[in-house]
Amino acid sequence: MFWRLLERSVAHGRGRWAVALLALLVIAALCSALGNVYLDVSRKLTREFRAYGANIVIAGTGVAGGQTLLEDSALAAVPEDGNRIIARAPFLYVVAGVGTARVIVAGTWLDRMSGLSPWWKVVPPGGIKSRDDLRQCLIGEAVAHQWNLAPGQAIELRHRGRTARLTVAGIITAGGSEDSQIFVNLPVAQGLADLPGKIGLIQVSASGTPQQLEGLVAGLRHRLPDADVKPVRQVAVAEGQLLHRIRWMLAATTLAILVVVTLCVAATMTGMAFERRYDIGVMKALGAGEGTVVRLFMVEAASMALAGGLAGYGLGLVLAAWLGRQVFHTGFEARWIVFPFVLAVSLLVALVGTIFPVRLLQRMHPAAILRGE
Amino acid sequence: MFLRIISESVWRNPRRKLVMLAALALGVMVATATLNVLFSAGDRLAREFRSFGANVLVVPQDDTLALEIPTGRDFRPVEEGAYLRVADLPKLKTIFWRNNILGFAPILSLPVEARGERLVAVGTWFEETLLLADGTTMRTGVRRTNPWWDARGDWPVDGAPECLLGISLARRWGVQPGESLEVGAPGGPDGVGAVWKVTGILSTGGGEDEQIIAPLAQVERLAPAHRGEARQVLVSALVKPEDDFARRDPRSMNAVDYDRWYCTPYVSSIAHQIEEALPGSEARPIRRVAESEGVILTRVRMLMLLITAAALVAAALTVSSTTASMMLERQKEIGLMKALGAANRDAARLLVVEMAVVALAGGAIGYGGGILLAQAIGRSVFGAAVEPKMVLFPLVLGIAVAVAVAGSLLPVARALRTEPAAVLRGE
Repeated sequence: MFWRLLERSVAHGRGRWAVALLALLVIAALCSALGNVYLDVSRKLTREFRAYGANIVIAGTGVAGGQTLLEDSALAAVPEDGNRIIARAPFLYVVAGVGTARVIVAGTWLDRMSGLSPWWKVVPPGGIKSRDDLRQCLIGEAVAHQWNLAPGQAIELRHRGRTARLTVAGIITAGGSEDSQIFVNLPVAQGLADLPGKIGLIQVSASGTPQQLEGLVAGLRHRLPDADVKPVRQVAVAEGQLLHRIRWMLAATTLAILVVVTLCVAATMTGMAFERRYDIGVMKALGAGEGTVVRLFMVEAASMALAGGLAGYGLGLVLAAWLGRQVFHTGFEARWIVFPFVLAVSLLVALVGTIFPVRLLQRMHPAAILRGE
Repeated sequence: MFLRIISESVWRNPRRKLVMLAALALGVMVATATLNVLFSAGDRLAREFRSFGANVLVVPQDDTLALEIPTGRDFRPVEEGAYLRVADLPKLKTIFWRNNILGFAPILSLPVEARGERLVAVGTWFEETLLLADGTTMRTGVRRTNPWWDARGDWPVDGAPECLLGISLARRWGVQPGESLEVGAPGGPDGVGAVWKVTGILSTGGGEDEQIIAPLAQVERLAPAHRGEARQVLVSALVKPEDDFARRDPRSMNAVDYDRWYCTPYVSSIAHQIEEALPGSEARPIRRVAESEGVILTRVRMLMLLITAAALVAAALTVSSTTASMMLERQKEIGLMKALGAANRDAARLLVVEMAVVALAGGAIGYGGGILLAQAIGRSVFGAAVEPKMVLFPLVLGIAVAVAVAGSLLPVARALRTEPAAVLRGE
């Protein structure tokens, strides 16, 4: 009997069911999409902040010829795993002579520059692809301007009797000190300075929240007890502050949206339940017990909530994935914890929105309801 | 007659109207709040990004190559290269985008000798009070352009014989805040030296860790030939992220485009205006700061935009479904009206107008609530209230009415198509 009533209720109120289902679908989809986006946005943003380049620097301790030195074996302690450590490269600086003037020559891994310094504009684009290229160099804009150098031309660097002849592969516009430097691969600089196996510092670009970065720095200090591992405060501090601010903004907005839309859907459900007061009046007049009426409505509401919640969760995942692709060009990772949350919200909204008016109505006298009060 | 029916109908069955009003108000509240946050979030965030520091570097046009390495050593002799005049700096607040110039600091770096080591002393402003052309004053210095500088101890007072010591130097020499430091200028006239009190230890992870940072006036004394001069000037400006239009070469633009570029606070146009104001200068965007800000800010704005759009669609759908569900129950009224001889159009118009009236009322309430909600969000995130954009009011109200009416159209149309008798029977 109970199930027959339920079936008839669905068959008769198709329009009503469709509307309620739509409302629940919307709230579930929104919960699902926003929940997934918010939980994953931290990971996405910390990756975006790598646009600022190196946030950890590893230097030597002690003084030696104006530049503290490290063994290049220290690099083995900093593996590039693409997940936490996005890019890293060694640097060795030499003050070389070009003609009668002097210029800073930076020896590094030229193939890592696009990861470590993404803001560089290199003309012609492409730069130097291999760290074993000992013939070519990249020169800063100011260097090119000073000596009227263009890509393809040759340049000769001298330091304490040693020379290196290189071809200009590209001109860097960095808007910083790099514009006044010449970049070569590490072996060239080590040769010029006669410092084989030595480097000046290691720049590391690592992705993560401030706590994760602190852990990374601590780990590196442990692995390299003779080195000075320090965060680049300009990047690390500002990134931490901004990350916190952006996440809070998203959280506040998401929460506000979800709370208000939930209330809106609850209002809809309440209104719809009130509209069915004649049904309740008739049922009671026919002798239905208190429990029966409430149970009927509860099962209706719960089944609507489940159907809408499931469909909405799926729709929300699609929406979150689309959002992720549009903004960050990568998908969003679905967090399983969102699923029970979405179902819980749908059930809560449907049940609270239905039970409250139903209980109110079924306490009234059936005759009064049927009269239209 | 029509108005009388409407007014009577609106007040009948208040419970149902109240529920509809609540749903409509809440829907409009979401729309208003998210739109307000969206419009102001961009500006607020741009200001937050200034914690990455200066985004424009100003150097003399005729300068020679810089010879400094990131570990703090500077190999360029003082006599080499060109200099900028510090007295020209107040002109930075006379450019077109003067209100976007948040701070600037002159840098005069000098090779010095201290504790038997050759290193660099950097002279600059910490929080200098500057008198501007229009009579107002401005406080500016490295505390604006390098906000991440963290001094353990106290900051030096501008002009006083005090300094900050880089943490690597402090560790090596075992110097604590409060101690004195003797600094000599090699290559300068004999006997030129200074004694500075170390007020704080500076730790940045950059070249400053191996340098001494002192007030500009103090460093000038060590190189009297360059009094009133600076090697470079750091500028922190509020900018708009670059788009394809901004990346075009201004020299290749026609007059209209050039005006548009000049009047938009791109980092390139502000740099151009700085060059116009400071004679003999070349201003370049510090790409590391400017480009990255542009990339990230654009992404975050797009995320906010899409979230707002999703919220708007959700609000519209829930409002529509509310009005649809309300209208479903009123199909009998349409049947009754038709049975009494009303034309299709009149019956529909009555209900729709009633719906519109309720929507307007709900929309107005929702707008007010939305503004309050946006203020609450703004205050909790940015510590400052969000300015309500009044232009949104008619827009939001119009959309609310449109959405509410759209929701009710389907049930109304269905009722009109069916025979009155069938509708009254309840099919």
